[in-house]
Amino acid sequence: MANSVMLAVAGSRKTQGIIEQCSSLPPDRRALVLTYTQTNQAELRDRFAKYAGEHARVSIIGWFAFLLRDFARPFLPFKFPGERVMGFNFEGRPYRMAKGRSRFLDSDGAVYACELGRLAHELIDASQGALMHRIECIYDEIFIDEIQDLSSHDWEILDDLLDSAIDIYMVGDIRQAVLSTNPRSRKNKRYAYADAVHWFREREKQGKLKIIENFETWRCHPKIAEFSDQIFDSSWSFPKTKSANRTVTGHDGVFLLRRAHVDEYVARFDPQCLRDSANSAKDFDLDFLNFRLAKGMTCERVLIAPTSGIKKFLQDSVYLTPVPASKFYVAVTRAAQSVAIIIDEPGNSPLPYWIP
Amino acid sequence: MITKIKIHGYRIYRDFTLEPNRKLNLIAGANESGKSTLIEAIALALTGRINGRSASEELNPYWFNTELVSTFVDKCAANQHPTWPEIRIELFLENRYELQQLCGAINSDIPTNACPGISMGILPDPDYATEREEWAKDASPLLPVEYYKVDWRSFADQVITNRPRQLATAIIDSRTVRSSSGVDYHLRHILDDGLMPAERAAISVAYRKVKAQMSESALKTVNERISKENASLHNQPIALAMDQSTRTSWEGAVTPHVSSVPFSMSGQGQQAAIKISLAMSRHSESAAFVMIEEPENHLTHTSLTILLSRVESLAGEKQQLFIATHSSFVINRLGLDGLHLVGSGASRPLSTLEPDTVSYFQKLPGYDTLRMVLADKVVLVEGPSDEIVFERIFRDRYGKRPMELGIDVLSIRGISFARCLELCSALDKTVAAVRDNDGVPHGVLREPLKKWLALGKRELFIGAVEGGQTLEPQLIHANDETKLRTILGVTDKADLSKWMSREKTETALRIAQAGPGITPPKYLLDAAEFIHG
Repeated sequence: MANSVMLAVAGSRKTQGIIEQCSSLPPDRRALVLTYTQTNQAELRDRFAKYAGEHARVSIIGWFAFLLRDFARPFLPFKFPGERVMGFNFEGRPYRMAKGRSRFLDSDGAVYACELGRLAHELIDASQGALMHRIECIYDEIFIDEIQDLSSHDWEILDDLLDSAIDIYMVGDIRQAVLSTNPRSRKNKRYAYADAVHWFREREKQGKLKIIENFETWRCHPKIAEFSDQIFDSSWSFPKTKSANRTVTGHDGVFLLRRAHVDEYVARFDPQCLRDSANSAKDFDLDFLNFRLAKGMTCERVLIAPTSGIKKFLQDSVYLTPVPASKFYVAVTRAAQSVAIIIDEPGNSPLPYWIP
Repeated sequence: MITKIKIHGYRIYRDFTLEPNRKLNLIAGANESGKSTLIEAIALALTGRINGRSASEELNPYWFNTELVSTFVDKCAANQHPTWPEIRIELFLENRYELQQLCGAINSDIPTNACPGISMGILPDPDYATEREEWAKDASPLLPVEYYKVDWRSFADQVITNRPRQLATAIIDSRTVRSSSGVDYHLRHILDDGLMPAERAAISVAYRKVKAQMSESALKTVNERISKENASLHNQPIALAMDQSTRTSWEGAVTPHVSSVPFSMSGQGQQAAIKISLAMSRHSESAAFVMIEEPENHLTHTSLTILLSRVESLAGEKQQLFIATHSSFVINRLGLDGLHLVGSGASRPLSTLEPDTVSYFQKLPGYDTLRMVLADKVVLVEGPSDEIVFERIFRDRYGKRPMELGIDVLSIRGISFARCLELCSALDKTVAAVRDNDGVPHGVLREPLKKWLALGKRELFIGAVEGGQTLEPQLIHANDETKLRTILGVTDKADLSKWMSREKTETALRIAQAGPGITPPKYLLDAAEFIHG
């Protein structure tokens, strides 16, 4: 059994880990690197080229592309005889009650992105073993980056991959799960978003994979790391984050900030301003970026306009539900040196105020 | 290895399926029966090319099956908006590990079947739907191929642009083109596949070095002189140097030599032999599929024998051979069990032959088995005189020569009746086997052949024992002696029976040329009536 998942914290150089593992493979091993987002693919390709040069037997593609190329396209007739995948419908959705062919394919024969996972998973069994056998023959290793972004039927496909002869190596930060391949699907609700960690723990108990935890961040200051750990309650049993950031700037850590001091703060520190969405923090005229778009970024300093949930968390220690918690975690862990949160009433929060 | 070939709408093949043998496939058929088309279709699907040019360059209206096209044109004229004719060539491959990239269920098999494979389609291009509609208003049998596209993909529904490495194919045709580089496209490919990647690289590097040396030695003095004498536009120096661009890579200069004679200067027979040797060389990257068209062309009997034994000894476990041939010799020699008979857009494989029958004909390669293979109906007789007399009897009875009705009368000339009948039975031919009784009761003669006989399909005709042991006594028995003497021009002085037995062929020839016909012995007439049907 060589399957493993590395659960790591933000800023722990997860992607670099994939690149290093990939380039140290013996030349006869054929590897597939899968990611969810486009930016991620481009970055992986870039970094891979820089680090390892040309490696003919490593291919980097997106998760959807993988499901299309190796599941849906070759084996669709096992569910719908005589049919072919004529395209990919990223935006569209089937009617809620759609059954059979129209559940998966639009009138032009293009597969709905949101149903691709389910289709791919059903084809594994429908093909009577041909599908998995093919994949086992084509790849020796599959690397999956940002594993936390997969959702619903993807997890079942992952289960089949874990049972195959292929070595699966996954990295992800469960705490950062803010994207999902199919936000509307009910399937696997129990694994959705941050609940994914339980999925891995279950598989580890069954002996299907090994969980490697890496909780050392190269990015976040010790005080930010410590704060980020508190966002999730202890029942998640996330390990404590350790920081390798030794930089001292004179303004390091997590601070509260009164509204009255916002302008001065921005002028003094030039932080990256973050908000939940375009609907939040309307009363500020700052150059905001939404939480989920900040994913993958590193900033020297951030300024957060909190949601009411975040305020409750700070003032009364009421924990956020998984999705908002993930988003808040992403926001906080963008910062290397300082995080400032705009709030006038501190409640029970032990955090210090920044005062000019 | 190709396990199944399906062709739809390509030339003579409207809907064609062939399950080739694992190693050897001999494709035989009459002229225009589609032998070459079959080889061409397989090569097209394997390489995406035809005669060295890409499918899209070569595509022309004559590729389409004429039947399909004329139905289409008729329907167009009747305003029925028929679907456009398409061409699809599918090659189903063995479900092997290294071919899995090509595996999938995008093929025409019903029920759904996943296996590695490739398909070459010539399909209406959706970009030209309106142009086609316009064209259909005044449809003609020459389809507008400009509005079609070549669609080459794997069964995994992935478009193929370059021939997959695992499907290395060597095509050996006898129509050798003497190109300027001395090596035609197919040979270039064969050479390319025949060399290991490391060997290719080494040759390329060495060739570059040699060219560089030229520039620095012989050309150097020339350049020194030129530089003093001439000046180009803008006064930049002119110099001669060896061209180091890829256009002039080693492939253009390196050609096979035989006994120091370059390939292009050797005879066509020799060229075919060289190609076969190169294509079938045994190393890990040699061609998986070897296609040879009519190896008998340009070769003397002796050369052909040598060539065939080379094909035989070189054929590896993993190579699949497709050979189109007109020659019985080639078929017998390489093994009758590899035979596929093609004709009128369909193929008939040979059902199983006993291995010792295959080797029996291998030892007698000169025997004209192809006649047996190609005839609609066969009459097997013992020798030339039986053949001649039977032909005459048939003509008297039906007013036509047997050949005109697709009936081939063959002397077995000492080959065993059993072997011939086995082969005919494997080919599912209608046969009348005519033999002498040699004084042996019918039952005894019939017994060993029973296995291959079938009522109404393959029957045995033997002269009645009381009529005499061979053809001549049978003729005397059936005819009035005076009449026979007149026909044969034998006077009373000679003993008719002795004369006929001594001059068998002469007897037969005189009967054949005589004005009046003879009264045929019953078994011969029965055979004629049976085979005429």
